[in-house]
Amino acid sequence: MQWSVIFKKEMVEYVRNVKWIWVPIVFLIFGIMDLITTYYLPKIIESVGGMPEGAQVNIPTPAPEQAFFMSIGEYGTMGILIIALVSMGLIAGELKSGVYELVLSKPVKYSNYVTAKWAALSTLILTSLFIGLLAGWYYANILYGDVSFGTFIGTFLIYSIYILFFITISVFVNTWFKRPGMVLFVSLLFIILVNIITSIFGHYLTWSPGHLSSYLNGYIHTGNVTGDLWGTLATTLFLIVILLFSAVTVLKNKEM
Amino acid sequence: MGLEDINWALIAPLIIVEMILLAVALIDLIRIEETNGPKWVWAVICIFISLIGPVLYFIFGRRQ
Repeated sequence: MQWSVIFKKEMVEYVRNVKWIWVPIVFLIFGIMDLITTYYLPKIIESVGGMPEGAQVNIPTPAPEQAFFMSIGEYGTMGILIIALVSMGLIAGELKSGVYELVLSKPVKYSNYVTAKWAALSTLILTSLFIGLLAGWYYANILYGDVSFGTFIGTFLIYSIYILFFITISVFVNTWFKRPGMVLFVSLLFIILVNIITSIFGHYLTWSPGHLSSYLNGYIHTGNVTGDLWGTLATTLFLIVILLFSAVTVLKNKEM
Repeated sequence: MGLEDINWALIAPLIIVEMILLAVALIDLIRIEETNGPKWVWAVICIFISLIGPVLYFIFGRRQ
């Protein structure tokens, strides 16, 4: 009851500050931009010129699966940045402006407050991701060749876990600081650290969330969900739950 | 590159979507009471920097 009130309030706010329009549009553009640029790259190079007489431009056309994975690559960098920017004021902004005290002066449970906000943000981002990936899949089919619809659904489900992981990191960091800029910086640092640690100790940490996109690449090419991929998904989900719990705990013990 | 070489059916959706983004940003800019910094600067940024301009406005320009 209380939970759905906070969730709805958050949704109304997303409509009011036009997030429900611009976030899906930006994700849609990220999903298809790389596919189109790569497709027209030989022509672009030709028209820009500056190549010596008789020079051959040989850019191999990527396989359809590879092309589809380019959308994922875009979300791994630009998508993460946009999510961090959208979520940096989620709780920190309310801590700063005093709305937070206003909300919690009523008997609102911390856990309801955090999870409702988390769920609202996840709904917005995952819907945008779905639209963007769908467009990417469509363009990969038109420009490069067949990628099955099943692969698209699988890719969306697997990658949304990684995106959820980052959203949760951002919500968690939101409970630490009052300054949105600080939240942005630390949450990006967090995900970069996860990726660096994964690339250094990757042999031991085969189930680290940092491996998810490379395992996903394997899944798109072969269609098989390997044991390592299952393990990684399980670890990531586990970390999401832990982070949400910690976020509630940190907020509870925060001195205002 | 001749313009006839481009398959406009492929690129049109991208252009239309960017136009929608720009339109939404400008309408919002007109209707909003106050922005962070002067309004006309945001209008210039939105119009002249495609994609990034409107996004910057939505994130930093709107007063929360």
